[in-house]
Amino acid sequence: MSLDSAVEVDNTVPVSQAVVGKSPRELAWLRFRKDKLALFAVGVIALYVFIAIFAPLICRALGISPTRLDGHALNDYGLPNGPYGNVSQSHLLGVEPGTGRDILARLLYGARVSLMVGFIATFLTTSIGVVLGVVAGYKRGKIDSVIGRITDLTLAFPSLLLIIALTRPFTQRLESIGVPEGNPARLTYIVLVLSLFGWVYVARVVRGQTLSLREREFVEAARSCGASTSHIIFKELLPNLWAPVIVIVSLSLPGYVATEATLSFLGLGMIAPAASWGVMLGDSVKYYRADPTYLFIPGIALIVLVLAFNVVGDAVRDALDPKGDRQNLL
Amino acid sequence: MSKRNIFGAIGLGLVASLIVASCGSNSSSGSGGGTPKAGGTVHILTLGEQIAHLDPQRNYTGSDLAFVASTMQRTLTSYKYAAGDAGSEITADLATDTGTVTNSGKTWAFTLADGGTFEDGSAITCADVAYGVSRTFATDIITDGPTYAISYLDVADYPGPYKATAAQQAAFDKAVNCVDKTITFNLKVPVADFNYTTTLAAFSPVPKALDTGEKYDMKPVSSGPYKIESYEVGKSLVLVRNDKWNKASDPIRHAYADSIVYEFGLDPSVIDERMIKDAGDDKFAVSDVIQPENLPTIFDNDAYKNRRVDYQDPFVSYTNINVKNVSCLDVRKAIYLALDRDALRKNGGGPYTGTYADGFIKPLLALDYAKAKVVDGLNTDGTPNVTAAQAAMDAAKTSCPEIAKHAADGLVYPYPDTPVWAKAIAIWIASEAKVGITIKGTPVEPSKYWPTVMSASANYDIARGGWAPDWANASTVIPELFSTSGGFNLTHNADDADYAAFDAAVTAAKADLDRVSQGKKWQALNQYVVDRLWALPGTFTKAQAIWGSKVGNAYHWAPYGSFNFGELSVNS
Repeated sequence: MSLDSAVEVDNTVPVSQAVVGKSPRELAWLRFRKDKLALFAVGVIALYVFIAIFAPLICRALGISPTRLDGHALNDYGLPNGPYGNVSQSHLLGVEPGTGRDILARLLYGARVSLMVGFIATFLTTSIGVVLGVVAGYKRGKIDSVIGRITDLTLAFPSLLLIIALTRPFTQRLESIGVPEGNPARLTYIVLVLSLFGWVYVARVVRGQTLSLREREFVEAARSCGASTSHIIFKELLPNLWAPVIVIVSLSLPGYVATEATLSFLGLGMIAPAASWGVMLGDSVKYYRADPTYLFIPGIALIVLVLAFNVVGDAVRDALDPKGDRQNLL
Repeated sequence: MSKRNIFGAIGLGLVASLIVASCGSNSSSGSGGGTPKAGGTVHILTLGEQIAHLDPQRNYTGSDLAFVASTMQRTLTSYKYAAGDAGSEITADLATDTGTVTNSGKTWAFTLADGGTFEDGSAITCADVAYGVSRTFATDIITDGPTYAISYLDVADYPGPYKATAAQQAAFDKAVNCVDKTITFNLKVPVADFNYTTTLAAFSPVPKALDTGEKYDMKPVSSGPYKIESYEVGKSLVLVRNDKWNKASDPIRHAYADSIVYEFGLDPSVIDERMIKDAGDDKFAVSDVIQPENLPTIFDNDAYKNRRVDYQDPFVSYTNINVKNVSCLDVRKAIYLALDRDALRKNGGGPYTGTYADGFIKPLLALDYAKAKVVDGLNTDGTPNVTAAQAAMDAAKTSCPEIAKHAADGLVYPYPDTPVWAKAIAIWIASEAKVGITIKGTPVEPSKYWPTVMSASANYDIARGGWAPDWANASTVIPELFSTSGGFNLTHNADDADYAAFDAAVTAAKADLDRVSQGKKWQALNQYVVDRLWALPGTFTKAQAIWGSKVGNAYHWAPYGSFNFGELSVNS
């Protein structure tokens, strides 16, 4: 995608500097910076990433643990003692009914699972999708139609149903080929299937962009100079594709986070005693009568993260292509 | 008898036949007043995918025994269809009386009453009963059922009716002998209460011509007031009236409802929600799988007082240790001392779970129960004693370093994949980690749990168990759980140095016909197992059930610790 570098004079830039030429990248950043909501969302995402990475340290600093049982925080029937799920100084967000495990600690550790799945799946889908999309768009012909049919086929699968149905056999298969049993195998499975079904969306967008780029003069020029196919793909086309790719990434990542939560909610994700937001949601639903606070905590955490990614994704899109319409990108 | 159903809390009650000696059994008030009316459809809500086994010879789990006995499978003798202690007494069903014993307990004879019929209208004969009993011996096809016929009947090397040679079949026919309407059981050991054994569905008649072997499980021939209209695993089992059932020939069953629908595969919280809401058809529904988080809602509120029951069921819950893998007493002690039983109890619903067990025989078995001395240092309030556990673990590191290392590397612990168990396993992991023992939980689809751990190829270090006596004699507990010939021995204790002495003592206790002295022997054997911790005592459990506002005749049937499903009625 090309940006018209003649657009807009940035009002915030002092007049004395206004004559300096700006690259499309700088212009996009200037536009993005003006979106206060997006900046806030970036801060939220940074905070999530921070707590996910440093969850063990934060827990240690607060003196909490995602696995430690606290029977004193529960009444005889296994429900939290105090109001709002026993929110107190020692348990800032209360405790889990039944076991007395600290909800804040489980939320922090759950963030690791959610973000890890989100980032790895996004990385894989983007890599596969971009490569296949560019190749299909640039090469056209047979390769394009083969990749195109595979894309159609993949889109035709009822992916969520398939993911659910294949969980047990596939995790067992993964375990039998040496992936550590239990959660590593389940996480691997989730990431793999998400990537398997996710790349097609990236590939389609990238293919479309490539189709128009390949006819542009600079590509023609490179080709007439005798540049190799790989040179054209990697040096001429890819650098011009990063804008739509970034937008797709920022909008698909929250989707993967939510899907992981869905699978865990359905009992197909993390297994005990690991924490994941989906597991917490699934558990808390049972207690909506006895301990409604518990239901809100993982739910709000998930909503905020997904919302933040979506806001940032929209802002990035607007910044990169102020005139563009969404249909082209997604 | 009877494995505990794995659903619900640390388990919710199901089967057993106890002569409940008054104590504890908070028998239900029953529901509704007046005489139950005929007609209507009763619904049973459950989270299981199916009835473990409908085949009478394979039926041995939980409330399934009560369900099958009260609806489709008549037996020679039966428990009385009554609430409270009366329900633990036996009465004649297919037979004219509760049996005649001769030959000092080794010969039992029953005479069939006239008029009993199968659902195809053919008369139930003595040969049908004998054939049914013979199926128990075909253990390659007829799996999971009780094995009393095999251990009691005076016949050796009988492979069941499918594979028996003429000579083998003749030997069986001698042990179970039919003369006209009288069936005679010749036993190799004296059994004073064999007429309690015959209440098991395993002693139901099966017409030989209609036996489909393994497939019989899905469509058994009914001899009771109901027959199967449709059966879809994971969805529902619909029973309708068996029009060939002859009410005059059946002295105990009333069969009020026109139809009984078992609804499978429901989410446990959905079941509770439906039962609490009591709307539409759920007014005609019953459930005995209340989740712990909903117990306070139901039991602290008078709105439910006429449609709930909280009772001492016949079960003891406990944890098997695979003694073959964990062959070191110090390690087993460490596991037990470190376990946070208080947390497990709270997770299961606190007081509704029951009380801490000191062994495997419930006090309800008054003659066989004596307070057992559990391991030194075990906290009576159920909290873990980490110091004592660590000391045991340290001792293990010198006495049996290999086993201690195995425990540190990870003990495999399969568990039914239910919400309550996901937390229970987390409690196990967290409490054992304090003394350096690693627990590797492996979730198993709930309805596959027993077949998984009981299969010969199962590899586990720890596995939960729940058991209730088949009748009021610990001969249906200790040998079943801890003898190699027992039907539910998950401890793999055959190689233990003390096993030979234990086995000899079990044989002696079984042979003791003086009931009081026999009881003393069971008490000592219970202590013997507790000392060696082949299994860790858990809870003397309680159970809870709820029924819809229009369900009548709902009561806690003591011998099975469940509803008497066939007697449920619908109030207009």
